[in-house]
Amino acid sequence: MRNKITFKRKPNTKEEVDKILNPVVKKWFYSRFKEYSLPQLFGVSEINSRNNVIISAPTGATKTLTAFLSIINNLVDLANKGLLEDITYCVYVSPLKALNEDIRVNLLRPLEEINAIAGRDLGIRVAVRTGDTSTSERSSMLRKPPHILITTPESLAIVLSTIKFKETLRNVQWLIIDEIHALADNKRGTHLSLSVERLRRLANDFCTVGLSATVAPLEEVAKFLVGYDNDEPRRCRIIDVQFVKKMDLRVLSPVPDLINTTHEAMQEAMYELIDGLIQEHRTTLIFTNTRSATERVVNHLKERFPSRYDENIGAHHGSLSKSVRHNIEERLRKGELKVVVSSTSLELGIDIGYIDLVILLGSPKSVARALQRVGRSGHRLHDVTKGRIIVLDRDDLVENAVLLKSAVERKIDRIHIPTNATDVLAQHIFGIAINERIHIDELYSMIRNSYSYHTLDRAVFMELINYLAGRFASLEERHIYAKIWYDEETGMIGRRGRLARMLYMTNIGTIPDESFIEVKIGSQPIGKIDEAFLERLKRGDVFVLGGEKYEFLYSRGMTAQVKASVYKPPTIPSWISEMLPLSFDLAMEIGRFRRLINEHLESEPEEDVLNFINEYLYLDENSARAIYNYFREQYDYSIIPHDRRIVIENYYDDKAHYYIFHTLFGRRVNDVLSRAIAYILSRIHNMDIEMAITDNGFYVSSLKKLQVERAMKILRADKLEMLLRLALERTEVLRRRFRHCATRALMILRNYKGRSKRVGRQQVSSQILYNALKRINPDFAIIKEARREVLEDLMDIKNAELVVRMIEEKKMEVKFTSLTIPSPFSFGILLSGKSDILKIEDRIEFLKRMQAMILQKIQLDKARRK
Amino acid sequence: MRELTIDNGIRLLDLSVYLEESHTLIIADTHIGFEEYLNKTGVMVPRFQLKELKKRLLEILESVDAEQVVINGDLKHEFGTISRQEWRDTLDFLDFLMGRVGRVVLVKGNHDTILGPIARKRGLEIVNEWKADNVLVMHGDKEAKNLKGVKTIIIGHEHPAIMLREKNRRELFKCFLKGTYRGRTLIVMPSFNLVTEGTNIQSSRLLSPLIRNIDEFEVYAVADGIYPLGRLSDIK
Repeated sequence: MRNKITFKRKPNTKEEVDKILNPVVKKWFYSRFKEYSLPQLFGVSEINSRNNVIISAPTGATKTLTAFLSIINNLVDLANKGLLEDITYCVYVSPLKALNEDIRVNLLRPLEEINAIAGRDLGIRVAVRTGDTSTSERSSMLRKPPHILITTPESLAIVLSTIKFKETLRNVQWLIIDEIHALADNKRGTHLSLSVERLRRLANDFCTVGLSATVAPLEEVAKFLVGYDNDEPRRCRIIDVQFVKKMDLRVLSPVPDLINTTHEAMQEAMYELIDGLIQEHRTTLIFTNTRSATERVVNHLKERFPSRYDENIGAHHGSLSKSVRHNIEERLRKGELKVVVSSTSLELGIDIGYIDLVILLGSPKSVARALQRVGRSGHRLHDVTKGRIIVLDRDDLVENAVLLKSAVERKIDRIHIPTNATDVLAQHIFGIAINERIHIDELYSMIRNSYSYHTLDRAVFMELINYLAGRFASLEERHIYAKIWYDEETGMIGRRGRLARMLYMTNIGTIPDESFIEVKIGSQPIGKIDEAFLERLKRGDVFVLGGEKYEFLYSRGMTAQVKASVYKPPTIPSWISEMLPLSFDLAMEIGRFRRLINEHLESEPEEDVLNFINEYLYLDENSARAIYNYFREQYDYSIIPHDRRIVIENYYDDKAHYYIFHTLFGRRVNDVLSRAIAYILSRIHNMDIEMAITDNGFYVSSLKKLQVERAMKILRADKLEMLLRLALERTEVLRRRFRHCATRALMILRNYKGRSKRVGRQQVSSQILYNALKRINPDFAIIKEARREVLEDLMDIKNAELVVRMIEEKKMEVKFTSLTIPSPFSFGILLSGKSDILKIEDRIEFLKRMQAMILQKIQLDKARRK
Repeated sequence: MRELTIDNGIRLLDLSVYLEESHTLIIADTHIGFEEYLNKTGVMVPRFQLKELKKRLLEILESVDAEQVVINGDLKHEFGTISRQEWRDTLDFLDFLMGRVGRVVLVKGNHDTILGPIARKRGLEIVNEWKADNVLVMHGDKEAKNLKGVKTIIIGHEHPAIMLREKNRRELFKCFLKGTYRGRTLIVMPSFNLVTEGTNIQSSRLLSPLIRNIDEFEVYAVADGIYPLGRLSDIK
C-alpha cells in the first residue's frame, strides 16, 4: 500500500505559481506583495489541484492567504466566465468567532481591490455564520448563499442539520480548517471531524486544507484532518514550514540565587526585570498560566510603576467580557498599548498587530505551547520571534532550560487526539437522524471514516443506537427516552418526535457549561471559582485560588466571601485548577537531562559538570551554576531520579509518614500512577490514603507506616485500568465529567422547553442520573465515556502503562530511600502538590468509625464537665 | 440491626417509624413521580424508584406486625398535570400497601395539592394530621395547632441528611432528627424517596417552622442500621 500521507519537501517555483493565477489576481497579488512566501510557494498549487494539504507554520507566516489565494483565483475565473453560481464553494472553519471576523475583513479587502483591478464587481460573496448571526442575516444568506462561508465547528453542525441551508453546501469544493492544532486535541475537534464526514457525504469529495501552528505528530494531525476512505487514510500532503521564522529565546531568572531569596525580594526583582524588558521594547505581550495571575501582574505593574503604566497596559483573558477583549485587541492593532497580559486567550491567531517581545511568566509546560506563544511576536514572516521565559524556582529553571533546548532543536511534544468519544457521537447520530432516514450500516461506515472513530467497535456503535432508541428503559416507558426512530427489522434510523429538531439545535456542542462565582474579601475581588466547587464548600474550609489560600466564610448569590488564610492547610482540593500539565515528551527530555547530569556527577569534577550543563543547555552563567548546585545537593543527600530511574523517598515528620515518588512524567501520568498506588495501599491497609500530585512526582502520606514496596510489586500495567476504575468510582472528577458527557449525549438537556438549566442544577441532576444508570448497567455507554474521558483525555493512562511496563521489564529502575528530612528535589512536590484523599473505606465502615469518634468525644466532654 | 427504639414504643426502622402500641408504620415524602418530574425538565433519568420503593417497604413490613400505614405527606411529587402513567404508578403503590395492611392513611403534605382524586379512587381518607394515643403525625410544613395531650410529634417535609466529614472525605447520610417543640418531643423523619440523597441540614436553610435550635437536635443516621450520632452540635 502506498503511503497516503506524504511530506512535500520542495516548494514550487515562482513561475509555476504565477502560471496558476488569473491575470487580475496576479496583478492584485504583486500590487500588495513583493514575492510569494514560502507557504504560498508550497501550498497554492496543491490547493489549486484540489489536493488535501495541511500547512503547519507559525503565526504571521501568511498561512491564511496561502489557503485562500487559489480559491479566490478559481472564483475570479468563474466570475469572469459568468459561471459563478449562487452556491457555497468554500467553507472555512475556525475555533474562534473573533478569528472569523478577522478573516472576513481580510477577505473583503482583497476582493474589493480585485474588483477595482477588474474594473467591475465580480460579485464574490463572503459571509460569517456563528451563533451570533441574526435571523435576518441568516435568511439573506439563504437567498444569496455566500461563495465563501466562514463559520465555527458548532455552527457548521447546525447548518448541516438545517434542511434549506444544507442544500447550499452540496457543491462545496474546498474546506479550510484553521487552527486545527487547537481542535485536534479536544472534543470540539472530535465533533468537527464528524461534521466534516457529514459534509463530505453531502458534497461528495472536496479538497481539505488544514492550517496549524506548531504541532506534532504532523502525520497524525493530517490523518485527523482528512479522515479515511473506508480502510485507508485519504491522501494528504504535509507542508511543514514550522521553523521558517528565526527565534531568539532565553530563560531568565530575576535573581542569581533562586533558593535564598525571600518571596518579597523575588517579586520585587521579577517586576524590575519585567519592567526593564518592557521598556526596552515597543510592544510586549506577557503570558501567564492562569486568569487570576493575569490580573495580578497588571495590578502589580501599575502599582509599582505608576508613572509608566496606566492607560497603556491591559489584560486579556477568557473571563473578561467580549467587549473588553475587543477593545484590547483594537488598541493593540492601533499600537496604543505598551503591554498586554494574557492567559491563553491570545494564543490563537487573532490579529493583534505588532508585538516585538513575548514574556512567559511561569512554564508553558510544552514546547508546542511555548512556540505558539512566543510566535505571537514578530508577526511578519521575516521578523525574529523573541521570547523570554522567566523562572522563579529551580524546578522551573531546569524545566524551561530543557524546554528551550527542545524548541531550538525542534523537538515538538506530541498531542493526544481523543478517539471513540461516544457522547459526541450520540449527539451526531441524533443530528443525522433528524434529517434523514439512513441505514445503520451506511451510518457506521461513514462514522468510521472520521479519524476520531476509525477504530470504533461495532458493538459500541450498537450500544449507542440502542441508547438513542431508548432501549435501556422498559418497553412501555421507552417513548419517553427514545430520541430516534429505529426499526430493527430494516436497520433504518430516523427522526422521532416533533421537538427533536428544536431540541438538537438548542443543545448542540461540546463545551460544557461552567458558571463562575466571584470570590471576594469584603468588596475586593480575588478571583473566580466554579459554581460546582462552591457547593462543596462549608464555612471554615480552606482552598487554594491563584496560588493563595483562602478560608471560606459564606456565599450570597454569585459571590463568595473569604478571608486570607496563611496558616491553615487546604481542606478542599481544587479540581478546577487551571494549571497546565507538563507534556509527557518534554518530561522525558527533562528526565534524560537528569540522567546525563547524574552520569557526569558520578565521574567528573565540578568544572566539567558545569561545562556540560553550559554546552547542553542554552543558559547564562548564573543559571548553569544554580542547576549545578541543585543537582549536586540532591546527588549528595539522596539519589537523582531520571528517565530510567524512579526514586521513592520516605520520611517521618513527627505526625505522618510521607512517601515521595519522584516520577517526572507530567501530571497527566502522575494522576494515574498516584491513584493506582494509593488505591493499592488503601486496600493493603484498609484505610483512606492522602496524596498529592505534581508534574515532577507525587506523594502519599498516612499516620501509619505504609507498605510501599509491596504496593509497587502489585502495580502492573495490565491491571492499571481496572485499578483506576475502582479508584475513580466516587471521585468528584468523574462526577463532573459524567455531567459533561451526559449533556453532550443529550441525556441532560441544558435547554429544554424554553428553559435553561444552571450548572448547579445540572450537577445535581447528573448525580441522580449517574446513580440510576448504574443500577441498570454499570457499563452504560455514557458512564463508560466519562471514565474514558478521565483516563485518556484528562489523564494519560497510555503513557502511565508505558512507564509501569518499563518497570516490569526492568527498563526503569525503582530505588527506595529513607531520609530524616525531604531531599531538595522533594520540596516542590511537597509544597505545590494538590492534595486529595482516595476514598476506599466502605461508606458504612466510615460511618461506624465516625460514630465511634463522635460518641467518644461526647463521653470525654461529659467527663470534663464533672 | 436495622432498627432502634428511641422512645417508649417508638421504633426507628430503616427510613420509617413504627409505633408499637397502635401497630402503625409511618413513612414520609416518597415523592413518587420524581423521575417523571426530572424527565419533564429535560433530565432523562430512567425510572427505578417504584420498584425499589416496594422492595424496601416489603422488607420493613415483613419485620413488624403493622395494621396500618400512615403516609406522612408528599406521597406524590406534583408539578401541574399528572400523566396516565404517573397516576397508575401512584395507585399501584397504594394497592401494594392496601394488600398488606388493613388501612392506609394519607396525611396531607405541601406537594399533595391534587391528591384528592387518587385518594377517592381507593376510598382513602386525607387528613391534615393523624393522632394515636399521645403521638401526633403531621407533615410539618405548617405550625402545629392543637397539642393537647400530645407528647410526641412526628413530621416529614424536611428530608434531613447529615454530612460526615473527615479531612477531604465527606459522605451524606439520610437521618432522623429528635428534638423538642413547645415542650413536646419532635421527631423529623427522613424522606422515603430513593432518588434523592436528602438535604444537608448543616448547610441548607431549614424548611419546617417546627424546627428551632437545630444544634440541640439528636441525629440518627440511616445506613444498614440506625446510628445515633449525638447532638448536631457534637458533629460539627
